[in-house]
Amino acid sequence: MATNDYSLAELLTVCVSRELEDGGQGFIGLGTGGRAFTMAVGVPSVAAELARRHRGIDFTTQYGVTFEPDLKKTPANFADPYLLAWPSKAQVRVEECLEYFRRGKMTVGFTSGAQIDRRGNLNTVCIGSHDKPKVRLVGPIAQSDHCTYAKYTFVMMVQDPRVFVPKLDFRSALGHGDAAGDRRRLGVPGGGPRKVFTDLAIWGFDADGDMRVETLHPGATREDVVRTVGFDVVFADDLGATPAPTPEELRLIREEIDPEGLFLEARIA
Amino acid sequence: MAQPSKIRSLADAVALIKDGDVVAIGGHTARRHPMALMREIIRQGRKDLHVVGWNNGIDMDMLVGAGCVSTVETSYVGIGSFGLARNFRRACETDGLRVIEHSETTAMDRFRAASIGLPLFPSKTGLGTDLPSTNPHLKPFTDPFTGETWMAVEAIRPDVAIVHAHTADEQGNVQLDPERWHDNSPDVMIARSARTVIVSVEQIVSEETVMSRPIDTILPRTDVTCIVEAPYGAHPCCCDARYDYDLEHLGRYHEATASQSGFAEWLADYVTGPADHWAYLEKIGARRLMEVSMKRTTR
Repeated sequence: MATNDYSLAELLTVCVSRELEDGGQGFIGLGTGGRAFTMAVGVPSVAAELARRHRGIDFTTQYGVTFEPDLKKTPANFADPYLLAWPSKAQVRVEECLEYFRRGKMTVGFTSGAQIDRRGNLNTVCIGSHDKPKVRLVGPIAQSDHCTYAKYTFVMMVQDPRVFVPKLDFRSALGHGDAAGDRRRLGVPGGGPRKVFTDLAIWGFDADGDMRVETLHPGATREDVVRTVGFDVVFADDLGATPAPTPEELRLIREEIDPEGLFLEARIA
Repeated sequence: MAQPSKIRSLADAVALIKDGDVVAIGGHTARRHPMALMREIIRQGRKDLHVVGWNNGIDMDMLVGAGCVSTVETSYVGIGSFGLARNFRRACETDGLRVIEHSETTAMDRFRAASIGLPLFPSKTGLGTDLPSTNPHLKPFTDPFTGETWMAVEAIRPDVAIVHAHTADEQGNVQLDPERWHDNSPDVMIARSARTVIVSVEQIVSEETVMSRPIDTILPRTDVTCIVEAPYGAHPCCCDARYDYDLEHLGRYHEATASQSGFAEWLADYVTGPADHWAYLEKIGARRLMEVSMKRTTR
């Protein structure tokens, strides 16, 4: 199989999958629509199933109120009545589903945003001033909760200088704050962002909470990364290449886990 | 006749809401918002409302677009997969509409605290963010036992809560079909936090029906001020297992709200034009309502 014979979604799925821990629990939001769906729902879903099948780890997925649904019976439409009928291990009350965060049970929250800074803080509220914004966005949603309580978060987003910014217009979710040790000082329990998965690279954070590029995807260059980021980019000393999916990983994804592309090709209505 | 009837007309129930009131809305995202009640709020021309929810969509956007709202308090306003809520967006960007920002848990915690008789609920959410700069109901405090910093989320006492449910009897005992009441549980907190509680229901049922399945009662009549019968009263939002979202209508709404004038036309067509909820249902049409129906119930 040729090196580039896989999609970005498959590459990210495999990378996320390799990071998931045995005994972990991950919260995946429910949403529909195109690329955002693939990044926020598709990749984490398939990654968790791949981790179970390929590496044999025990990992619990939580889709809002729904625990461990049967991916083989994924509805082709995420409208409510279909979600209701999705075979799963549990449906908890909606106000309880976020208590798994508060109680410290959530290993990983998958997040995103309209803006991210080099400390991994996120903005989903507005571009421009809050009092009279240039662009009003949806609001904090549950993202402040994910970023407060999860043991760590994985941020999934597409690189763009308007998105990777030196300073957020509004900080709706805490990453590593302004300086080393901020989370502890503030009394915030979770560990904050651990990785940022993008269309060009995988970023990590150093001990002080500063973002740095750890691996470049096949075909992506340092220049590509610098051009699509609005702050000064730091590359890890041991900068590597994002490891490509193995044929077995691709086979599992394509033949067993997501044969109809519901998740990675966003075919869910 | 020890127990008086709590059934009111849509117009009489909504007349309980005054200009300037804090109004809490049940439902979330595009699910089971009390749309019939909200359309009537617009018909009656309420102004200067402080509208509170925990996750909102067309409900909030429509009230904002119709000029009923001076303050929005919630965690989310959007039209799902269609995109941003355009009236809300315009009101923020052009008129500087006041928005009190919450995360989902803190938005619920305001109701949670009030519904169980507490002055506040402790949270970690909001620490280290810009939320408190917009939100006077989030204030840090020190845990007296551990010395740790927490965020206090102040209890809310809305003047009025409006909620949509499946059934109620004349006396105001409100029930939900058991299949899906899990996802509706915040509505119980929302109702129990408010001074006046207006519940619209898909159908009024007999006392015997309620008494045969008491476990389905989410709000006993002591929690409820009045009941309005409004079949398809959440349309175009979904109503749990009974009817689905009307995605075609939501899409048309999203398109119409691209401009102020487009929304004005939509309002005239679907809200101020129809004299009441029945006229609205006629406008939507039986065929469309049957198309979104998942479970056709009879009395």
